[in-house]
Amino acid sequence: MRLFYQPEGRLRLETDDRCHLQVRPMWASPVTQPGKYLSLLDGKDKEVLMLPEGLAGLDEDNRKILEEELHRRYLTSQVLEIEHAHTEFGSTYWTVDTERGRREFVTQSLQENAQWHGPTHLMLIDVDGNRFEIRDTRALGEDSRRLLARIV
Amino acid sequence: MIQQASPEGRSIDQVLIDLTADMTEDAKFGFRRLVVSSSEVSVLDQSGASVLRVPIADIETARNEPLVSGGRLLLRMKSGEDIVATAYSLTHSDLFSEAARGVEQLAKGQEFSINLKREKTRCAKCGRLLPEKDGVCPACLNRGKTFMRVAVFLAPYKAKVWALIGISVVATGMNLVPPQLQKLIVDGLTASSMDVRALVTLVLIWFSVAAVAIGLQVVSNRLMTFLGSSIAADLRAATFQTVQRLQVAYFDKKPVGSIASRITQDTDRIWMFLVDGMPFLVTNGLVLIGVLFFLFQLDAVLAAAIMAPIPVMALISVAFWKNLSNMFHKVSQKWARIYMHINEAVSGVRVVKAFVREDHEYDRFQTRNMDCLRAAVAADQRWYSILGAMSLCVSFGMLINWGLGGYFVMINRLTLGEFIMANSYLLMVYGPLMWFAQINNWFSRAMASAERIFEMMDMPRDAGGGKGDKHTIVGEVQFEAVRFGYDKSNPVLKGVSFTAKPGEMIGLVGHSGAGKSTTINLVARFYEPDAGRILIDGRDYKELELQDYRSQIGIVLQEPFLFHGTIAENIAYGKPDASFEEVMAAAKAANAHDFVVSKTDGYDTIVGERGAKLSGGERQRISIARAILHDPRILILDEATSSVDVETEKQIQEAIARLTKGRTTFAIAHRLSTLRNADRLIVLERGAVSEIGTHEELMTSKGVFYKLVETQSKINEIVGVGVIG
Repeated sequence: MRLFYQPEGRLRLETDDRCHLQVRPMWASPVTQPGKYLSLLDGKDKEVLMLPEGLAGLDEDNRKILEEELHRRYLTSQVLEIEHAHTEFGSTYWTVDTERGRREFVTQSLQENAQWHGPTHLMLIDVDGNRFEIRDTRALGEDSRRLLARIV
Repeated sequence: MIQQASPEGRSIDQVLIDLTADMTEDAKFGFRRLVVSSSEVSVLDQSGASVLRVPIADIETARNEPLVSGGRLLLRMKSGEDIVATAYSLTHSDLFSEAARGVEQLAKGQEFSINLKREKTRCAKCGRLLPEKDGVCPACLNRGKTFMRVAVFLAPYKAKVWALIGISVVATGMNLVPPQLQKLIVDGLTASSMDVRALVTLVLIWFSVAAVAIGLQVVSNRLMTFLGSSIAADLRAATFQTVQRLQVAYFDKKPVGSIASRITQDTDRIWMFLVDGMPFLVTNGLVLIGVLFFLFQLDAVLAAAIMAPIPVMALISVAFWKNLSNMFHKVSQKWARIYMHINEAVSGVRVVKAFVREDHEYDRFQTRNMDCLRAAVAADQRWYSILGAMSLCVSFGMLINWGLGGYFVMINRLTLGEFIMANSYLLMVYGPLMWFAQINNWFSRAMASAERIFEMMDMPRDAGGGKGDKHTIVGEVQFEAVRFGYDKSNPVLKGVSFTAKPGEMIGLVGHSGAGKSTTINLVARFYEPDAGRILIDGRDYKELELQDYRSQIGIVLQEPFLFHGTIAENIAYGKPDASFEEVMAAAKAANAHDFVVSKTDGYDTIVGERGAKLSGGERQRISIARAILHDPRILILDEATSSVDVETEKQIQEAIARLTKGRTTFAIAHRLSTLRNADRLIVLERGAVSEIGTHEELMTSKGVFYKLVETQSKINEIVGVGVIG
């Protein structure tokens, strides 16, 4: 397989026998199988290739392109520290430090919008649908963990 | 946004779109500004320096590409390449997809018309993020103001409210009397200056004061309960009425559960506060004032000393209460999850058993159960610790009184009677004080609930009676370049035009998501077009009165909705004054009469919640009968795909044929028979009309419709074989 942009900005996938236009990568199971099962979809949302091992085993050029694409398409933030969090009248106000920078957001009805994907894996979804992920709550600092424990 | 409008039209550098995005090219949070003029799209950074400039003339199309947790504005150039103008989080994606539409209009030389409604995301007063765009800031919500709005509901009970206030004041005053009597008795006894007569008199006075006070207390509590419950009932009624009148769009965004909880839970919280919280606050507040008055009058030093632990109690409340209420909130969340799970497991019990997952379900339940247990234990344990600290403070207050007061008696600064009186007063205030911190919390919650209700009452409603003209519909329905999207950023209908003649039956065909249901929703005027017009007999239907218009429209839904009640009531739902003969005639026309009379209770059969006690085919025929009796001018049919036996199918078809006769009908058609019966078919594809014509015309032209029918019959073959095999 070979991935390249043509025309500029539109990803093309060439396999042994075919050529697919407007290709985009999507993780098949981003939460429970992170880094594995990467699906390549064409412009009509049809899967053209599945990479069960994710980016592993790809050659340098293809990997770079996919990494870059994924980085631009998955805008979910990884929470590094929780600076502030408090609940008032059913709304929870957060100020967090993420790998994309500092961010304030509001969540409501935490039963649905604070999803535990494991004992220490938490996904917060704000009122606009933006996601803030904490892969491992144990990796947070002491203060962050205390704030988190108080709320969820 | 529009800087200036020159007389000859758009000037070259006129800014048409000016938006902020919150992400940079390397997908970090940051600042970008999109500026679109009639000649150029440019993106600026924080300093105002240009990051990207693209001439409009080079752009072919523009769109908002949805990403995970965000989106990006994608420009397709005439050269074929794609350029990302800017990325943004979901917070901004609505505005940017509207902007994308605007850019495309400019690129294609169409009329520039977009709706960039700027939404407030932060509270203007405190700068907090708003939970809902353009919504109320829960922190800045003026609790006093909200309370006044609740108080408006008191107006019908004015006399009772004043009576209540009067009685409360008197009752409180009387409660303050017995300690004074204690003082007189003790002092009289210690000074041996009292005879039996005086003692009996005092005891009798005490008894009558106590009796009257208790009597008044009972009266005031009864009044309070009556008022609280009445107000809550009025609020519930007002909320329910509001919900009925809200636009359908509101119900798309809010789950049914949350709306129902506003009617029940939120009014309940207000009721609780009015019935329990308010009386507590009022009586104990009055008692506190009275006690402080008497104590300070007695001995300022002693009074100050006994009250010393109160600030400590207040401190404990402030320091620990918030945290504790969070913990209790968590417990109730975990309870909700347990309820949810039980609900799921019980209603899905067949699936659980079929897949032999009983143990798995038990484990899942147990995880949640233990979770709830831990949270509840933690909260309760903390609660008892705080309670302990509070009780200690109370004891301190008493000990101070015994120590200092005792000493004052010793040095004859106080009499023994005065000491006993101080002690009695002390007990009256210290107990309730432990709960005062809770009152604030209680009040806050009740006001937040009230605000949620008022917020809903302030929502846009269906245009009510009186607005617009009454018009007896002949039946011509014309769509004129209708555009519509449930969410503005994502139009479902993109300029749909067609005309249905009076009495004509139109079949709507297309893949799921093509816009069939949306077309129907617009005809029923659950929504109105974002752009373009819908003309009824040549008049824009926005000019017609909504209720009058809807009363001439009939709907038969795919999943017919029956209300809990009898079959007759359900058939007569749209025409409650119909005679029994009319109901029967409608049922006959709908081929429902025979199966109805064969039931034990005939037309008086209770259909159960949502008609659960009837079969699918029966429910459908009853809903058809309902539409026939309603006698609409325009009929909407959302045809069921559910399979019924051949005989029932035939009966339903007959009923539908009778129903549609002479009425302009829009049918979302799946059955081939309906497609054949339709006068014309409109084939929708991705929000636009791709073909219009009769069944034969479309079959011979071998277009989109032909392909649809082909695939469907192939699928039917496969399914058919599968069933037999």
